[in-house]
Amino acid sequence: MGLRRTAAAEPLREVVERAHPRDLTGLLEQLCEGSAEQRRWAARDLAAHPGCTAALGAQLRTERDAAVRDALLTTLGSLGSPDAAAALLPLLRSEDARLRNGAIEVLARMPAAVAPNVPALLRDADADVRIFTVNLLGDLQHARVLPWLLDVLAQDSAVNVVAAALEVIAEVGGPEQLPALRAAQARFADDPFIGFAVEIAIGRIESA
Amino acid sequence: MNRVATTPGAPARRVAISDADFLKFRDFFYRKTGIHFDESKRYFVDKRLVERIQATGAEDFRSWFIALRFEAEGRELQQLVNAMTVNETYFFREAYQFDCMVRDLLGEVVQRKRPGGRIRIWSVPSSTGEEPYSIAIYLLERWPQIADFEVEILSSDIDTAVLRAAEQGVYSARSVAQLPRPYLDKYFERLDDNRFAISRELVSAVEFSRVNLTDAADTRRFRDIDLVFCRNLLIYFDDLSRRLAAEALYDAMAPGGFICLGHSESMSRISPLFRVRRFADALVYQKPLHGESA
Repeated sequence: MGLRRTAAAEPLREVVERAHPRDLTGLLEQLCEGSAEQRRWAARDLAAHPGCTAALGAQLRTERDAAVRDALLTTLGSLGSPDAAAALLPLLRSEDARLRNGAIEVLARMPAAVAPNVPALLRDADADVRIFTVNLLGDLQHARVLPWLLDVLAQDSAVNVVAAALEVIAEVGGPEQLPALRAAQARFADDPFIGFAVEIAIGRIESA
Repeated sequence: MNRVATTPGAPARRVAISDADFLKFRDFFYRKTGIHFDESKRYFVDKRLVERIQATGAEDFRSWFIALRFEAEGRELQQLVNAMTVNETYFFREAYQFDCMVRDLLGEVVQRKRPGGRIRIWSVPSSTGEEPYSIAIYLLERWPQIADFEVEILSSDIDTAVLRAAEQGVYSARSVAQLPRPYLDKYFERLDDNRFAISRELVSAVEFSRVNLTDAADTRRFRDIDLVFCRNLLIYFDDLSRRLAAEALYDAMAPGGFICLGHSESMSRISPLFRVRRFADALVYQKPLHGESA
């Protein structure tokens, strides 16, 4: 016993064909019907098939195994296409906070694919979806984040959506955003929380 | 208070980092990397911020920060991570994790092994070999049960040049400075140029391989790893690569296997797959056993 000698140049482990087919049809079958390990490996190997995003998104909505979910999210993130974003965006409506946050985290790394969807998301009838979209904008690396957030300040009627936008603007805003902040404060003159949040944001901007 | 800093050889333009700028940067950097800078690091941070602001040609902190926050490719964030972290490798670096390995981790691992069974340890990135050889020395010198099990040490890097250097196993005096003298005498030969050649016995105990941790084709053959050392690597990856690497590590590890990251890294920020374990010497991450959740 002790440290194993490796001088025999024995291969670490031969890469052998998996017991289950790795073609698209086989992977899609395993994604839905296999064991958790098979589903996870199917999710990982489907990264080689850009056309499978809808199936990955559908599986995400029903998958209960955390390791499989994680692989599904990572594969959609690595595909990074508009179709991948389309498969993830419905999860902003999920009641499952872990799944929703996982989707937001992956979407935030797909700025080009997400951007065309942002205006519609910010007009969604569901205020929660608008809040989660603002949360997404907080991490989205895209040049239009600030203008989108200013639109929220100017137009959104829900206090919690505006408050979420204020939180991000406090970090990334500058003196040129002060009039917009004051306007939001005036628009919600009867809401002490918005008044407080605006003062905090202005304080942080002016002290920079 | 505003602090003004300039860098040697830089244009005369002076860039000010205000207290608010520092706090804004500190919060953002912590969220992205898990690295926290307290006020005592202010000079270190300001100096590097000024260097980055000047290197990018930004007008001031704010315009640089906006670009950093919203740049789609994340290149500036990567430059910043490189500037704010020091990656130096040497024998017995962050040895508290090796202490944890021999005092706690291997004890749990062997409970799942038959007598004489094989324990598989993966050190990635290998860099020039200091880490995998440190693991080997620790096992030989500080883990009495080494005689009862067969331990396989694997070590991988994406860089074939450092892999060649690792297999040559010749180190500077600085690289071996943290080694206890008896270990230096036992496992190294001092060369004429004041460098140190590690024993061929240790070289033959580590299996080096070229691996890109984000390429499933490279990592697919790694299985049943009981203990992973992946220190100060993931912090240099972008978010997607970090997730891909975490997936690969998860699938390479045996249920109940442990992973040690660098002191400033957090798996919880990368993947929910692992659970945190606190031991006397270190905080490590564990792949759940079958039937457990993270």
